[in-house]
Amino acid sequence: MEEKELIEKAQKGDRKALTELVKMYEQTVYNFSFKICRNKERAEHTMQETFLSMVKNLHQFSGDSKLSTWLYRVVANHCLMLARSESKYGFTSIDDDEALIDEKNLADWKVTPEHVTENNELKKILDEAIQKLAPEYRVVFMLRDVEGLSTEETAKIVELSIPAVKSRLHRARAFLRNELNKRLAYE
Amino acid sequence: MNKPTCKDVMMHICDNLGEELNSPTCIEIKAHLENCENCQHFFKSVEDTIQFYRKYNIQISEDVHNRLLEFLGLKE
Repeated sequence: MEEKELIEKAQKGDRKALTELVKMYEQTVYNFSFKICRNKERAEHTMQETFLSMVKNLHQFSGDSKLSTWLYRVVANHCLMLARSESKYGFTSIDDDEALIDEKNLADWKVTPEHVTENNELKKILDEAIQKLAPEYRVVFMLRDVEGLSTEETAKIVELSIPAVKSRLHRARAFLRNELNKRLAYE
Repeated sequence: MNKPTCKDVMMHICDNLGEELNSPTCIEIKAHLENCENCQHFFKSVEDTIQFYRKYNIQISEDVHNRLLEFLGLKE
């Protein structure tokens, strides 16, 4: 059944259609929640709250935008709110352009992206790097580069202008690349 | 997803600059990139960084799935 049809049925109270919609998006929502919240318990809690919000508000959903876009917005807002309430965690500043475009270490990386799923040490390196990135930048990087949304869609979700999204994306990419470079160039 | 091509890299760079692929700025950047080993290394490592995160996924467990349906009152 098409998503549009499922939404229409769920809006009329069809529980089976609602369950199908949850199943359709649970992996995407959980994955995205984990990547932004950086914690399995928080990711599960965020996913539950996101779908609860969907169940409560689906009757208001007009279908003008994609359901996934709406779900991404709920997850992003929830994780950013959690991060702000825990501001005790200091994030690395990424205001210094010179430091971001650091070309000092030019050795080729020995690890390739193909090996990421089988390399636990690499996962640890990726986790540590993304953990240092402020959540506002992390959300933009995940939406645009990892989830593959357009700049326009990302801007709508995070309620920023397109130039602001591009600027955050550029800084996030350069920061993560530098963090990985410190660990991968000499392994 | 396939490995990014040089064109993909250029699209990324030019998109971030708000430039069309055939704009004078992009043509100059492309010419520089073709001859600059430092920049080639830099941009390859940026693309690899993106690919690392794309391939690193967390699989939802059956327990988490069941708890979600129960939480929403949708468990059969």
